[in-house]
Formats: sequence, C-alpha cells, structure tokens
Amino acid sequence: MKKVININFQGRILPIEESAYDMLKQYVDSLRRFFANEEGRDEIINDIEGRIAELFDESLKKGKTCITDDEVNTVIASMGRPEDFDADENIVKAQLEGEAGGGSRDRIYERNTGGAKTLYRDENNKFLGGVCSGIGAYTGIDPVIIRVLFVLFFGVTFLAYLILWVAVPSTSSVVIGSQRKRLFRDADSKILGGVCSGLAQYFSVQIWVPRLLFLIPFFSLVFRWGNWGVGDFPHLLSFSFSPGSIVIYIIFWLVIPEAKSTADKLEMKGEKVDLNNIKSTIQGDLEGFKDRAQTFGNELKERAQVVGQNISDAGKRVGGESAGAAKRTGNGLVNVLGVLLKIFVYFIVGSIIFAIVVALFTGGVILTGLLPAYSFVLEDGLQKILAWGTLIFFIWVPVIAIVTWIIRRIAGKKSSSSIISLTFFAFWIVGIICFVNLLVALGSSFRYRNTPTEQVANLSNPGINKLEVKSNNFNRYYYNDWFNFEPFSTFDDDSVYVKNVRIRITKSTTDSFQVNMVRMSNGNSRADANQRASLIKYAVLQRDSTLYLDKGIAITSQDKFRNQQVIVTIAVPVGKRIKVGDKIGLFDNVHIDMGRGNNYWDWENSLDNEAFEWRRNVEYVMTTTGLERVLKQLNVDEDNSDRDILEELKRNKEDLKQEIERQQRELDEKKRELEKTGDTTYKFRQTTYRYKETAEKTVAAVKTKRATKSVPQNSLFINTMSMPLSRFVF
Amino acid sequence: MNIDNTQSQMRKGVLEFCILSIIRQGEVYPSDIVEKMKAANLNILEGTLYPLLTRLKNAEFLTYRWVESNSGPPRKYFSMTGKGLAFYEELEATWNELANAVNTLTAPIQAADTLTNVNQ
Repeated sequence: MKKVININFQGRILPIEESAYDMLKQYVDSLRRFFANEEGRDEIINDIEGRIAELFDESLKKGKTCITDDEVNTVIASMGRPEDFDADENIVKAQLEGEAGGGSRDRIYERNTGGAKTLYRDENNKFLGGVCSGIGAYTGIDPVIIRVLFVLFFGVTFLAYLILWVAVPSTSSVVIGSQRKRLFRDADSKILGGVCSGLAQYFSVQIWVPRLLFLIPFFSLVFRWGNWGVGDFPHLLSFSFSPGSIVIYIIFWLVIPEAKSTADKLEMKGEKVDLNNIKSTIQGDLEGFKDRAQTFGNELKERAQVVGQNISDAGKRVGGESAGAAKRTGNGLVNVLGVLLKIFVYFIVGSIIFAIVVALFTGGVILTGLLPAYSFVLEDGLQKILAWGTLIFFIWVPVIAIVTWIIRRIAGKKSSSSIISLTFFAFWIVGIICFVNLLVALGSSFRYRNTPTEQVANLSNPGINKLEVKSNNFNRYYYNDWFNFEPFSTFDDDSVYVKNVRIRITKSTTDSFQVNMVRMSNGNSRADANQRASLIKYAVLQRDSTLYLDKGIAITSQDKFRNQQVIVTIAVPVGKRIKVGDKIGLFDNVHIDMGRGNNYWDWENSLDNEAFEWRRNVEYVMTTTGLERVLKQLNVDEDNSDRDILEELKRNKEDLKQEIERQQRELDEKKRELEKTGDTTYKFRQTTYRYKETAEKTVAAVKTKRATKSVPQNSLFINTMSMPLSRFVF
Repeated sequence: MNIDNTQSQMRKGVLEFCILSIIRQGEVYPSDIVEKMKAANLNILEGTLYPLLTRLKNAEFLTYRWVESNSGPPRKYFSMTGKGLAFYEELEATWNELANAVNTLTAPIQAADTLTNVNQ
C-alpha cells in the first residue's frame, strides 16, 4: 500500500507514488546541482523536466494508474544520472560536492558537516509558525531561548517574525520542479550582511527599497536631533522600525543563511511570491495554533511534575551530555559573536563617516552663509577666486561625493566608475590647493601689526565723581539676522561692524578721569597696518557723567577686515567710581589693570583679571589698592543715599540669602541638564548669564563669592580667523 | 589509466559532430536524435544531450521552434542555422582528415608494430 499524490510537473498533472516522488525530487535536485554552474542551466533543467513529464505521460496513457518507483527508475536510467554524464568522476564529484547537503536538506537537525546549512521553519516542534524552533535548529541553540528572546523584544521582533514566517519555507513544504523561493542573504550585492539585498530578491523589489526602510530610523534620528522641526513625521514609522531596525537587521543577519552555492542562489531567485502564497502559509499555521496552545498549557503542567522527579536523574546524565551540547552551542555563539563584532566595527566606521559628512556639511553651510562677509575680508581678484575654489571644491565636492556614493550604494550600483571617483578626487585636490593658497594669502595679509600709539580722548568734564560707561547705538537700524558671526556683528550693504573693542580700567595718576584709546590693525606690511589703524573711526563721547562708546568698529568693504581693534583705557582716580552699563565689544568683561601702570598689551594672560571678578552694571570704586565694589566701601564712605540702600539691604539680607540658595540650586540643575544634553557652551553661557542678571537684580550689592564660572576669555588676537563653532548663533 | 574513461573521451569528441549531422538532415525533436543514434549503435543519455543542445543553441549554431503536440505542452524542435552549417562543414573536414589518418595508421599491422617499438 502506497500513498499517491498529485503533482503539477511541467504543466502536466501526474499522479505519483510518494516514494517515487521523493526519488524524482532527489534526482531533479541532483541535476540542478550538477548544472548549477552551467550557462543556461534553467533552460537545460526545463528541457529535461519536460522530457521526463512527457515520458511519464506516455506511460500513463499506456494504462498505468500512477507513476511508480519503477517508472522513475526507468526514466532516470534513460536520462542518465549526473554521475553518468561525465566519465571523469573527479569533475562530477567536484561539481556535486560544492553543493553538498542536498540529501539531508529537509532534516535540519542533522548538522551536515561542511555543507551549507539552510534555514527551515521546523514543522515538528512549532508553536506558532515554527520560526523560533527553526532558528534554534539552525544555530544549535535551544529553541526555548530563541522564543524567550523573541518575546522579550516583542514589538521589534514581531516584524522579523512575520517576514521569516512568510519567507522561510517549512520543513513540510516541498514543491518539485520550480522550487519555492527561499530567503537568503545575497552576498553578491551586499553592503553589510546582504540582508537587504536578500529581502529585495525575495520580494522581487528594487534593492534600495529594503535599504531605505532600514535606514529610515536613522534619518528620523537625524531629524529629531535638537528638534529641528521636522516634527513627528518619522514617529509614525518608528512604531515598527525605530530603533528596531538595527535589532531586526541583526536578527536577520544571524538567522538567514548566506546564499553560498549556486543552487542557493537559484532558490533565492526562485518563483514569484504572491499574496496567496503568503496567505495560505499563515492561515494554515494559525489554524493549528489554538490546539497547540492548549496542549502546550497542559503539557507544561505535566512536565513540571515530571521534571521535579527527574531532576536528580538528569543531573547525572547532564555531565555526559553537556560536553556535546556545549560544543554545539559554542559553535553557534562563535557565529553570533562574529556577526556582532562585525556590526560593531561597521557601526564605528559608519559613525566616523557620518561625523565627517556632518562636519563638512555644517562647514559648508556656514561658509556659504558667510558669503556676504567675504568682501569685507578678501581682496578682489586672487583671494576671492581662491575662496570660491575652497568653498566649492574643498568643502562641497566631498560632501556631494560622499552623498553620491551613499546613494549609489543604496541603489545597488556597486561598481562606481573610476572616472567619476577620479573626477571627484581631482576636484578635491584643486580644492586643497585653493585652500592652502588662500590660507597663505590671508596669512600674509594679516602678517604685520601696526605700531600702537595711545591717543587721548578729550573729556568734556573729567572732574566728576562717577563715570558710567554706555554704548553708543549704531546710527542705523539693522536686522537681527538668522545668522550671526562674531566678530562681524552686523552687516549692511557697505559696512560691517566689528566688535573688536576692549575696555581697560587703570588707576589714574591725577585726580580726574582720563580716557585713552589705542587703535590697532594688521596688514601685509607695517605701513599698511599703520594706515589701516589710522582709518579706524571710533567715537568716545562724554555727556554729563556718562561716557558713550561705540559698540563696534565700522569697516567698509574697501577698508577690509584686518583684525582692527580698539582698546579704550579708562583711568579712574582714587576715590571715584565707575560703572560699565552696556556690553561693549565682543566679551562681557573688562580688563582691570591695577597699580603697575604698565602698558602691557598681552593682557589675556594678565593675572589681575583672573583674580578680579568683574560684573557689569555694578558700581566700583577706585582705592589705593585697586578697584573694589562700592558696597564694601560704604562703611568708610558716609554717603547718605548709599546708607539707605545699606539699611534696606540689611533688613532683607536673610531673604536674599534664601533667594541666592534657591537660584544656586536652579543653576546646579541647569548645569546637570546641560551636561546631559552634551551641548556646546552656548547654552551654558546663556544659563549663566540669565542667572547672573537675575541674581544681580535681587542681590544688588551683596558681595558673595559664588561658584559661577566666568566666561572663559578667548584670545581675540588669535581667534578671529578660527572661531569655534560655539559662537555661531543660529 | 581507465579503459572506460578513454572510450568515453573518444566518443565525446565526435558527439557534437554526430548530433549536428543528424540535425542537418532536418528539424528534429531531441528524443528522435537519441533514437537515431541508438539505431546507429551510438548510445547517448538524454541528460547529456539537452545541455549539449542548449550550448550549441547559445552559440547560435542551432535554433528551435515550439511545435504544438497533441498530448501535453508544445515541444521544442531544433534545426540548424547558417552559422551552424559552416561549423558543421569544418568539423566534417576535420573528421575526414582524422578518419583518414587513423585508418592509415591502424590499417597495416606493421605500422602499429613500429609505433609500439618507438614507444618502447
């Protein structure tokens, strides 16, 4: 008694005994492997299959009820086995061996040695679709572990499970002739592990489709970075993709076998997957699921009891068995570790490339945004050409090249033509040459300093008791641009305001205020620098007790920016007061030069400034030892108005202390927040300022040493050409 | 040295020539080729024939057309192209030379003896 099945073979319906069918399938498989490397293999196999079908048909017409083993044997004898095709056994062997493992193909538990392992959904031990048990059998890891992992990452793995369910054939599905399509990793057109290319092959879509799907979470990451305002667009997709796409990718990489042999590659391309295929697979499995779930529950109960009894017996046995099991699991683990390591390396490399692209891109955007500033710095002619060359070839060309490369890789065009890459490279070399020349040219333009000379600014009323420094507003309205590049604070059509102004406070030798001004500039020769310095227009104006200073130096595009600076020295007589009200110049601090009276210009390193904490909008008084805050002096000074303030302050002192503590806490919190976001100093500075201002308002003149850090003083002389990114205010 | 191996190598060499000469006589169905060769006492497996036909077809020596059959799907019938004919004629010339040479060498026993002596 034998079971007879109907098969559709080359367009003919054939009743065939099951054993005969197995033989036939094995035979066709062996032919497929034998001709795997042959050009036109599909045609050959089709022709042979067609002929076999014809022969079967003939014998059925002669009155046979079905195809038996004998018929199959006769046909095989007349067609010939692969071993008979070529008398040279070695060739046959070599051809067949490359594709070994065909016989034990559907017995996944047998780990065939050396041959290509293939992934099947395990029909015998399945719970839902048999995916987990199949993976377990494939990797040699207990399916329970795989199941637990899948459940743990539920949500992320859900998608992976569905795809594997659909794409991986079950152990029971065997279709003769045109084989069912199987999911492989396609190593031929891979970027990482060939997962995407394999999926593309399986679902017959363009290769960039799965790649894009896997990349979307990364895009969303970029979009969300710092809330750039693209909003919730990626959020919808991230439900199933992000950051799960990495997890899914890793799962696929680990689980899906690579299409190594030609037979694998044939299967990978196999027949079309249509919706019916998918539907029938999942429907069939789901029907059995309910029953299995029930029996599983019962089994679990029983098993728990049995396990309890057997645990001691098992302990003894485990010793012997574990050696073998450990070996198998170990093998699986080595594979897993290898893949993870690979992913890690790729991740690092990817991050580096990503960082380079982002840095270049940001640089490009900034330098392009700065275009209007160019005419204020660069001389017409060569320098401008070089600047354009740098911008286009040095910055944008590599950005475009890398982006093009990424797009080409995603689109699956692996062999980028050498002409394109050579062109890009040549452009970039041009860019480097431009860049270097530009630096050299600019270096020579800035090479010389002028000889600084002090000029006395005439004060209308130098004998007053108190001098307040305020900024002289620009005499034009201007926009607060989206983009602010210091020291170029404001652009208009023909001039730019450079905030290269510093204030220096010294002790006056006389009993009246004195204001000196030093104008400085760079140039390509000393004479040039001197001339540029003398062209600086900077107004110092006293009105009553207020000293008005320009906020910046106006430079026209004819003048060119050559690091023009103005240093305003205010000499305060002993016993008189000074207060700086507005922010003048680039930095919010004032240089204090006490006692020594030297004109030491390199004040960036002056220790006086470090020791003295300068505050804007606070009154200071000059003493014989140096500047001091007014409050401290009040005990000596019998000034009525100040005394009132003092009394009021004393009354409120307790409240104020509490206020200080509260704000200190706030500041600490903000600092912590800042460290978390890892942002640049920009935010930090803002919070510090905010804190400072509010604190000053409330505390007025209470002198307390606080843990606030003053803004680091950057060297203006050096920094103008290499502004750190933190100063760009978007 | 395997006698089977040598024999099959010899047969293999003339296989293409024989198949081409059958197809030259007119359009044929592959199994007819097998029958004809069997009748001439030259056995060939169909499993060997199909790849050979495909190769020759890919080299544009042969062409085929689908012919409707009264039972089942249409069948492939092969015929020769002009290029194939030229190829066949060259093979034929070579074969004649070879056959002559082999006959000349093998016919007189003396020649064979001399050869064996030389070999020794």
